[in-house]
Amino acid sequence: MAKLSASYGRQTLGDRVFDIGNVIFMTLVLIATLYPFLNVLAVSFNDSADTVRGGITIWPREFTLENYKVIFSYGTLVTAFQISVLRTIVGTILSLTACSMVAYTLSRRDFQGRKFISVFLVLTLYVSGGLIPGFLLMKNLGLMNSFWVYVLPGMVNAFYIFMIRSFMDNLPYALQESAKLDGANDFTIFWRVILPLCKPVLATIALFVAVGQWNAWFDTYLYNGSNSSLTTLQFELMKILQSTTSGADQARGSNIVEQMRSVSPDSVKMAITIVTIVPILLVYPFLQRYFVQGMTLGAVKS
Amino acid sequence: MKKRFSKLAGSIVIASLLASVIGCSNSGTSNTSPGSTGSNSGGNNAEAVSNEPMTITGFFSDPNTNWNNMQDDTGKFITEKTGITLKPEFAVGDPEQKINLIAASGEYPDVISPKGASGALIDAGALLDLTDLIEEHAPNIKAMLGDQIDRLRHSNDDPSIYFVPSLEAIDQFYFDAGGPFNLQHAVVKELGYPQMRTLQDYENAIKAYKEKYPTIDGQPTIGLSLLADDWRIMISTTNPAFWATGAPDDGEFYIDPETHEAILHYKRPEEREYFRWLNHMNDIGLLDKESFVQKYDQYKAKIASGRVLATIDQQWEIDEPEAALKAAGKHERAYGHYPITLDETYKAANFQQTGFNGGWGLAITTAAKDPVRIIKFLDYLASEEGQILVNWGIEGKHYEYVDGKRVFLPEIENIRVNDNNRFKKEFGIGNYLLSLRYGDGVKDSTGNYFTTNNPEQVLENYSDIEKEVLAGYDATYWKDLFPKEDEFEVKAWGAAWNIPVPNDSIITVTQQKSNDIVRKRIPEAILAKPADFDKVYDTMLAELDKAGAKKMEEEYTKLVKARIELWSGQVTE
Repeated sequence: MAKLSASYGRQTLGDRVFDIGNVIFMTLVLIATLYPFLNVLAVSFNDSADTVRGGITIWPREFTLENYKVIFSYGTLVTAFQISVLRTIVGTILSLTACSMVAYTLSRRDFQGRKFISVFLVLTLYVSGGLIPGFLLMKNLGLMNSFWVYVLPGMVNAFYIFMIRSFMDNLPYALQESAKLDGANDFTIFWRVILPLCKPVLATIALFVAVGQWNAWFDTYLYNGSNSSLTTLQFELMKILQSTTSGADQARGSNIVEQMRSVSPDSVKMAITIVTIVPILLVYPFLQRYFVQGMTLGAVKS
Repeated sequence: MKKRFSKLAGSIVIASLLASVIGCSNSGTSNTSPGSTGSNSGGNNAEAVSNEPMTITGFFSDPNTNWNNMQDDTGKFITEKTGITLKPEFAVGDPEQKINLIAASGEYPDVISPKGASGALIDAGALLDLTDLIEEHAPNIKAMLGDQIDRLRHSNDDPSIYFVPSLEAIDQFYFDAGGPFNLQHAVVKELGYPQMRTLQDYENAIKAYKEKYPTIDGQPTIGLSLLADDWRIMISTTNPAFWATGAPDDGEFYIDPETHEAILHYKRPEEREYFRWLNHMNDIGLLDKESFVQKYDQYKAKIASGRVLATIDQQWEIDEPEAALKAAGKHERAYGHYPITLDETYKAANFQQTGFNGGWGLAITTAAKDPVRIIKFLDYLASEEGQILVNWGIEGKHYEYVDGKRVFLPEIENIRVNDNNRFKKEFGIGNYLLSLRYGDGVKDSTGNYFTTNNPEQVLENYSDIEKEVLAGYDATYWKDLFPKEDEFEVKAWGAAWNIPVPNDSIITVTQQKSNDIVRKRIPEAILAKPADFDKVYDTMLAELDKAGAKKMEEEYTKLVKARIELWSGQVTE
């Protein structure tokens, strides 16, 4: 803070009051957003019988790895993790490529069917086919029991396309003209001129898509549920969560106390949350620099 | 093309025509889904029972992460014995969506366990009527059901049998009681085991102990804590009203045993007196002030602290905090269960028998190539040999007889207690409860229980103080304190709460409205000044009637009567 105020020269009283208020406010926001996460982390590492007593805040009271042991004792997680990573990477790349290409085409004023295709795409934002028609379509396309059902159907997304397009619309058309004069064809212009300038919006959308892909489990359930070599991490974790819950139900029904043993569904849920969040959390730092870059880029240009 | 094919086929035999049309329309749409992967080796020849390998596909509404593709010991044995390999898919999340998809797409697996979502499948004509299959090919299932087979029928209009029930066990006998009036062992021990029969006894005990020990471990003592978090309000606050007044559990309704008229159970005058007692408990400060605002985890934390003397709740809701208490060595803070009623004229009906409720189970779909093999497979699992196999595994490998008593081998028992996942995954025990099954307390021809639960186990799980308290009441089990099963008549309508209510019925909507009213007014009545109690309670009853309770009760009465008629076997064609 001192450094900050130095760079702005002398501070008035009002500035100082604002700074103090700002720091306090931001700290509160930080606590409010960080606390739930730390609490989940603490509970996931806490002994589940002890958790029932309540009062766990940000530090486990009786440290244990038992909750994680339960999750990782299911052998299917390794393949499932690989499939999840694969679908996140492949899905993001395919989706970015497809969306940005469509967006570029739509942003070109000399494209004839621009209006019609735009309207057509907008329709998909408001009207969807529904679950059963979607299922039948995938079935008839032969996408059941295949990896491609994860990445192909969601490849082109109208919302992302419009986001990229409006970003491209803000780029000066002169750039494309001069590139053309220098002898670049449409593809070169797209690839060498437009795309590099679109990094900020691409990073944003990459994040959207990646998080979406990483979190998706319902499509696995619908299309690949019976194929254990194609299930995703979220799907497997969901299964574990449900069978710990129903395991507890069974134990209730039949009075077998030892089945409840040392883990409760709540603790397993917390551990699963951590297993789910941490890998995708690691993606943020890599994408963040593009956001910052995007801001400076915009500033210089205007 | 389909038509021409049918014509051609029609000239051969009518039976094979049907089969080939189904076969054609399936392969015509080029599907590669699990529905069609079953092998076709069996054909339609019913009598050629063989152990030829056959794969049947299935969809199950309950997840099972311990399914090991039948590569576990029990699974291998079953495959060897019957030739059948089951390839199941388990639901994750909401099974209903997937089942609607299955019904809509016509991609049926061979067998399906849809639980509550069977309506769409039945409407789509996806399920086979099992009546004749059971009659001709399933002697064990038939014998197990005896004259209760009518309880499997779908409805008066459609008396088909669609399911072999697998969720409810036959002749289930509960070894012990689990609520709902619970009191800490420390309380009754301190007071020298006073009589625990009426709400007054219960209140006196709580009061006396609380006055003597205003704090426990430094925190203020709480007399009685209730839970009202969402649906849990029924378990802890509203259902005990009928338990305390000698009525059995029929959900939100009370069914008159003579006339079979259904009324909302809150309308019974004696239940008003139960809630008045709760109001009184609040008035004299014995009721936890946070009862109607606390969340489930706060409730659990409170109980786990050991300072709640009494809870009115089912055992399964307080299992977790009790385990925490025991882990902390505070066994005297765990709870005993007492047959408390409003006064001595009522008899706690916790163990009134419902008879077999039939209900949810496994259905065979029209996609199954060889339903006869499948029903025989299910029949094998329901046989004495099959039942012992699915509950205990293989003799010599998993269990043995010691002095005529069936027990797990010591190393197997060790795994069972300490690593239940491995136990299921490696040995497959408990993975194959697919068919009709016996409940706890049913004995086989060797005099052993079919299931692995037995009364001695319950006893072993009692703590020392628990045994001491029970001895103080001249009992061995908590259940001994309660009126026995045979003191009540078996309910002709089973348990009313599991009567399926049609989706378009007025009951569904009115029920929701009445739940909203009850969940708001009951806490209000309990927390009101004693003088205002009747006013609030009357308001609630008036509001219920205004929301259409009368009409709903009439409709429900019809459902109850229809079920009694169906189960009495008068509607079989």
